[in-house]
Amino acid sequence: MNWSIETENLGKRYGDVRAVEHLSLRVAEGEIYAFLGLNGAGKTTTIRMLLGMIQPATGFAKVLDTVVRLGCREPWEAVGYLVEIPHCYPELSVYENLEVARRLHPGTPRQAVSRIMERLGLAAYANRRAGTLSQGNAQRLGLSKALLHSPKLLFLDEPANGLDPAGIVEIRELLLELTREQGVTVFMSSHILAEVSRLAQKIGIIHKGSLIQELNRDELERNRKRRLLLRTRDVEHARRSLTSAGREPQLLGDGTIELKDTSSVEHPDDVNRMLVDAGTPPVQLLVEEEELERYFLRLIGMDGARNEYSR
Amino acid sequence: MNTLADMIWIELRKAIRSRMPLWTALGSLLMPLGIAFLIFVARNPQVSQKLGLVSAKANLIAYSATDWPAYLVLSAEIIAAGGFILFVLIVSWIFGREFVDGTLKDMLAVPVSRLSILLAKFIVMAIWSAVLTALLFIFSLLMGALIKLPGGSISVILQGTLLLQVTTLLAITVAIPFALLASLGRGYLLPIGLAFLVMILTNIVAILGWGEYFPWAVPGLYAEGKVALTAVSYWIVFLTGLLGLIGTYLWWKLADQNR
Repeated sequence: MNWSIETENLGKRYGDVRAVEHLSLRVAEGEIYAFLGLNGAGKTTTIRMLLGMIQPATGFAKVLDTVVRLGCREPWEAVGYLVEIPHCYPELSVYENLEVARRLHPGTPRQAVSRIMERLGLAAYANRRAGTLSQGNAQRLGLSKALLHSPKLLFLDEPANGLDPAGIVEIRELLLELTREQGVTVFMSSHILAEVSRLAQKIGIIHKGSLIQELNRDELERNRKRRLLLRTRDVEHARRSLTSAGREPQLLGDGTIELKDTSSVEHPDDVNRMLVDAGTPPVQLLVEEEELERYFLRLIGMDGARNEYSR
Repeated sequence: MNTLADMIWIELRKAIRSRMPLWTALGSLLMPLGIAFLIFVARNPQVSQKLGLVSAKANLIAYSATDWPAYLVLSAEIIAAGGFILFVLIVSWIFGREFVDGTLKDMLAVPVSRLSILLAKFIVMAIWSAVLTALLFIFSLLMGALIKLPGGSISVILQGTLLLQVTTLLAITVAIPFALLASLGRGYLLPIGLAFLVMILTNIVAILGWGEYFPWAVPGLYAEGKVALTAVSYWIVFLTGLLGLIGTYLWWKLADQNR
């Protein structure tokens, strides 16, 4: 397997604060890897180490087969990035900002600027001073700068920031297209699992500077908790019948009965039959999947008392 | 070489699009305008009587610039002090703005060497400073002609031009380390604050008689022409500029950039 990004025991401290610790991960060529964590989890510090902007205290990072060193020219020719807030030169026009980015990547053809403006819907703003752009368009300009020189590897820090729902869908389609058609590798950070779950093949979850879990999309589906929720007219009777059948029904506050065991979740029809036989047929039967955000919070141990799944 | 040309294009474009060149140009014009005004006041008693405090200052200036040679020395002294502050403003803006506007990160992971990026910045700083000095000088000549200074000749003007050029070069050189200060302080405050501190120190050092060994005092001493400077002074200025260049380069190459 060809790895676009490899890190080994990567770490960084700021005084007593461990920003990133023992981070070892691999991103395969052509993959969309989502780096998920709360604000301050260490996502941006990691991206900055991967981009050679910060010297790691421990370990090393390899990007496109080159060991990343501070202040070096390699391997950035084939790398595009958008780190944190998309800053630009406010008094330069959109076109000029992109022209600056083009010249910072020698060999990028002149037409690349108008092509990327067209593609990201900025053509109408070409001569507008970048300082007057809306947040969404500033984000588009930031993405344009990252994509301008047709990189093989993209680092995108919270790429959906500031975009409206239509913009988010548009960027998602664009990234999928880039990976499918041009084999571009994408390393993106986010703090919203639902946003990346439809896009990424692999998700790495970082919390307090450590990578606590890495999983692919199927594993994500499997790991999410499921439960069977049911309502009947005689709650007490139903609960007793289910208990005597060896199940462990829980009564929720609103009179709903919850079953979390695998056989109930996978065969709700059996549960239905049991209740019918007991003379208290269900009026509602629902298999519910744990919400992504709740799953994420559970993983990082921040689900708290509000989460009825953990009861 | 092409890359360096591209980097210079970038820096020039950023400078031209901002209002900074305009403001610094106005700043450089104000200096000769003020001096010419004071000389004019001193030579016209009917005006100076009405101006009280200004006239005292005007007399002071007028006594030190009664003819063309003295006036040109005064212009060079202005470059050494006021020009220096202006050059620090320019270099602080060129470097500090990347931190203030958050644009630094976009020039870090790029296939262009830091050296090219920094050289372009210093080259633009030099061009910008030189253009301002030329503007200031031409304006000074016009002002001198306007107030009808005596003792002017081609050779006097040429000599004054040379004096001004060397003073400018010295002042630009000692302004270079302020690029490092703008980078360390990630903005404008540290370099500009320290530039004023340096100006105060320059006066103290000059009073103590050590001016020729204090790099920031050398341009002024050279312009004044009263102290015979030795090669040591010029070396100190050269090394100050060189250390500023090397320090800035090392900082840009090795410092963590987490903003």
